[in-house]
Amino acid sequence: MKIFALLATLATGIVLLYGTGDFAPWGDPNSPANSHLSPVYIERAVEETHVPNLVTAILGDYRGYDTMFETVVIYCAGMAVVSVLRRSRS
Amino acid sequence: MDQLLTEIVDKYNYWLYVVLMMIGFYAMIGKRNLVKKLLGMNIFQTAIILFYVSTGVKRGGQIPILDKYAALSHGVDASQIINPLPHVLMLTAIVVSVSVTGVALAILVRIYREYGTLEEDEILEKIRS
Repeated sequence: MKIFALLATLATGIVLLYGTGDFAPWGDPNSPANSHLSPVYIERAVEETHVPNLVTAILGDYRGYDTMFETVVIYCAGMAVVSVLRRSRS
Repeated sequence: MDQLLTEIVDKYNYWLYVVLMMIGFYAMIGKRNLVKKLLGMNIFQTAIILFYVSTGVKRGGQIPILDKYAALSHGVDASQIINPLPHVLMLTAIVVSVSVTGVALAILVRIYREYGTLEEDEILEKIRS
């Protein structure tokens, strides 16, 4: 059984390593992740939100609803923990 | 062989994260103890978070915190600032991962109260009998 787990892990790892062949090298400024959308955010964020920290600007201003519902996720997790751990009275 | 070596040196971060992911994946499907499975899931999530953050790196780039007045008057050169988008997305992923870990730990406590053990095969034995 553990042999099967090891074989499945190795197969997944080999597929993932084969997939890294198409990635851009580490730290490449012209990689797709760095060249499509993010320059727009970096250039406009201070002008539009007046927040010097770009991560905060994107998290709080451009993606405000996302952040709001993250707190809902935390709240739901807390409710789930309480309802799972509560001992029933009977 | 030489080509493979340059490939590894160019992309060593991805190789490291693949190894971390394999460790987590093996712990998830190979181990019998439920706590070890949960730890494996956390290692897997951490590997994915590190992978995403590493896609935002630019060689020679600065951290994405700007001087506000200089940026307002002169504008910003986007090629000098590292990419803030993966950091933002991974903040969301960290919140989800913390929530999932909390709920899973609570369920593990409940399972231990019910069956007195956290070994998978012993729990299955007790369910069958």
